[in-house]
Amino acid sequence: MHPPDDLDEYLRGGSALSRQYRRESAPAPPHALDRRVLRSSSRAEGRPPYLAPLAFAASVLLSVALVLAIAFGPQRPKRADDTPRLVRVAARADASPNSALNRTPRIYSSDPLRARTRSAWLADIAALRRSGRNREADAEMLRFRRAYPDYSSGDSPVLR
Amino acid sequence: MESLDEDARLMLRYRDGDADAFLALYARHKGPLYRYLLRQVRNAGAAADVFQEVWSRLIATRGRYEARAKFATYLFHIAHNCMVDFFRRDLRLPQAARSDEAAAHSAEPEVPEYQRPDGIAEFAEQQSALLAALSSLPQEQREAFLLHEETGLSIEEIARVTDVGLETAKSRLRYAIGKLKKALSAGLAPEAERARSRRELKATQLNAST
Repeated sequence: MHPPDDLDEYLRGGSALSRQYRRESAPAPPHALDRRVLRSSSRAEGRPPYLAPLAFAASVLLSVALVLAIAFGPQRPKRADDTPRLVRVAARADASPNSALNRTPRIYSSDPLRARTRSAWLADIAALRRSGRNREADAEMLRFRRAYPDYSSGDSPVLR
Repeated sequence: MESLDEDARLMLRYRDGDADAFLALYARHKGPLYRYLLRQVRNAGAAADVFQEVWSRLIATRGRYEARAKFATYLFHIAHNCMVDFFRRDLRLPQAARSDEAAAHSAEPEVPEYQRPDGIAEFAEQQSALLAALSSLPQEQREAFLLHEETGLSIEEIARVTDVGLETAKSRLRYAIGKLKKALSAGLAPEAERARSRRELKATQLNAST
């Protein structure tokens, strides 16, 4: 036990120092400051206190969902024989007088769901030959034969 | 809930949407909080900014309030943190723009002369000496003194508000009151003498003018 010092005496309350401090002028916040604080309080009253974290959680969830949708969402798988090259060729050939090549490019037979009719395909091949693109016409022909092995060569002059 | 102080109950009511509870809390604590900040940052404008920030934080975090301790401990812990932030910002300012340089003497609004009865004029002079001594204390000691005087917090509560150990808080308060008492006992007599001289001079000037 150490003897009581100034601190013990002070903490008991009613010390001369405390009395003197309490007689000190006691400045209070200016009214304009009161108004600012009370205004910010009444502005916050319209918003429940749990709304801010909830809004934050919702925006995080939305962002994550968006990123996942971009990374793993449904995509049309790319195919090696999708022949987009020919589509580009056909699109570039719009200056050509050949009406078959001026048609809107379509997906080729390698995509069975979007396959052209046989006659349209043969017309395309014929158009390629007429414009002198024999190598592309041969490639198309091979694809055509793979897609329709039973198609008789007598049915179309292109296959002969 | 039995041991909760009245202010903690008010804060719980405010948390649950009772706007009137905030008004009551504000009315009770605005004075002590304002003086605590004003005498710490020693600049009326800066004190007003920090004061507003403290209440804004209290409003914003009211949803997370739990009555674990006295409400004053909670409020002044927010105030302590805001003040620490203020001092950090203030340190980054160029020397000339710092608040204590700018307005050390203008911070404490003087009570106008016409509001002071002659009988308390001498006492008012003595109070200036106390505030001057308080202002010259290191910030941590000043804070411990102000927390005890303005809010009646115990040493344990002061330690909790200022995030220090019990012995540190005790030592700060002990140094603060030691220095204040010493400054007052050394400074009060000359200060009272100067006040008397000023009153005599004023009376002489009044007589000369009439």
